[in-house]
Amino acid sequence: MRGHAHLVAGYIPGRSPFHRMPLWVKAVLLLLVAVLCLASPAVSVPAGAAVTTAVLLAAVASHGVARLPWGRLWRAVKLMLVFLVLIAAYQWWEHGALVAWQVVAAIVATVLASNVLTATTPVDELLDGLAAMVRPLERFGADPERFSLTVALMLRSIPFVIGAFSDVRDAARARGLERNLLARSLPVVIATVGYARATGEALVARGLGDPEPDDDASGGTGPGR
Amino acid sequence: MSASARQSIVLSAAGVDIVPADAAAAGPKTILKPLTLELAEQRIAVIGANGSGKSTLLRLLNGLVLPSTGSVRVNGLDTAADGAAVRRTVGFVFTDPLSQLVMPTPVEDVELSLRRLKLPKKERRARALDILAGYRLAHLAGNSIYELSGGERQMVALATVLAVEPSILVLDEPSTLLDLRNTRLLRERLASLPQQVVMSTHDLDLAADCGRVLVVDDAGIAFDGPPDDAVARYRALVG
Ligand SMILES: Nc1ncnc2c1ncn2[C@@H]1O[C@H](COP(=O)(O)OP(=O)(O)O)[C@@H](O)[C@H]1O
Ligand SMILES: [Mg+2]
Repeated sequence: MRGHAHLVAGYIPGRSPFHRMPLWVKAVLLLLVAVLCLASPAVSVPAGAAVTTAVLLAAVASHGVARLPWGRLWRAVKLMLVFLVLIAAYQWWEHGALVAWQVVAAIVATVLASNVLTATTPVDELLDGLAAMVRPLERFGADPERFSLTVALMLRSIPFVIGAFSDVRDAARARGLERNLLARSLPVVIATVGYARATGEALVARGLGDPEPDDDASGGTGPGR
Repeated sequence: MSASARQSIVLSAAGVDIVPADAAAAGPKTILKPLTLELAEQRIAVIGANGSGKSTLLRLLNGLVLPSTGSVRVNGLDTAADGAAVRRTVGFVFTDPLSQLVMPTPVEDVELSLRRLKLPKKERRARALDILAGYRLAHLAGNSIYELSGGERQMVALATVLAVEPSILVLDEPSTLLDLRNTRLLRERLASLPQQVVMSTHDLDLAADCGRVLVVDDAGIAFDGPPDDAVARYRALVG
């Protein structure tokens, strides 16, 4: 199965201020973006629109500061374009142009800001951050390592599923079945379930789901270190 | 290093039956007849037709499949009772490295293996990069695993499994997806390992490197002995 990693947001190595910023600072900034976009309209509609526009400009500027390719910014927007148009149309109709702009700008600003975060943070660091966030819940039975592994698997699986869709579409086209919904969807389900099983087996084989050994004395362990 | 010490895998009348999910179907199907074997040689190959039971046999060795009858012991540990300890002893490489590599990049995947050692983050990363450098993969450490060639991926998979220094390495058709050049690289790599190696393969050259070859046919062992005779037997079976 082909991979389609290029379709998915991922880490872009670099040395920009955002790349060097600790993850928690980026997370706080992202939270700030979300709070400003969501809370500012509560003051007044013009204030909301003004604040959100400023935040959007800042998010776009951050893209530049992080030296991310502009294609990436556009791709993030393109993926949501249909929804954005629908939401804008509805808001315009119901509440007028200014509100429509505020809502759309808020969505785009938040997505762009999170895009900057994921593009400037290696997945590994992101996972450590997530694990750290869950750690306080450990005493209630949460397992931070398992949680971050789950997120990693999710990130890793998205390109596979996208790849499965495009492979199956090609295969259906080759057989002249491109209009057949079943021929285009069932193999994706089967491939995805197969992939999930194979991944599960690989995790088990690598001992990643196993409980931590309490003592290193449990015989037969690999060479001592 | 205990990796070069003598390892022992003992199967005692270990067989595998599958109960069909479809209740209307006939009773359980035997996918591996009860086997009694001791695997102690440094290099062991398993050859046989597709569907003959090679993968099932290999999966028994690290507890991915548990025997429905009999038992499997690795250095004295029962695969059913001590699964976690067995898996720390036996590393397993799958045919398709993409299903084995779970992280987005090679260095992260090796680090995932190393998490077990509970090293500080920096040290873990340094060690992972060291390991990749040992496989001449340092230049690909941060690339997406989707961007690697099949041969590179298989080497990364091998590196992630060997990172935690298992004493036995099991490989299921490791060269089936590789071209000639990458198969040769893999062959050289395997030859240099201190670990005991058990692998299934359709590459008879790879099998010829092994001191002992098992020929699997119809869910049982049809031959067990030196490579020349095993290959002759396998050819005869194919007819
Ligand atoms: N989980 C399973 N459920 C049902 N049948 C299985 C299962 N695993 C393997 N088999 C069957 O057992 C036989 C041997 O499979 P396998 O060990 O994968 O063969 P090989 O690796 O030699 O190609 C095949 O006929 C296969 O269809
Ligand atoms: Mg097989």
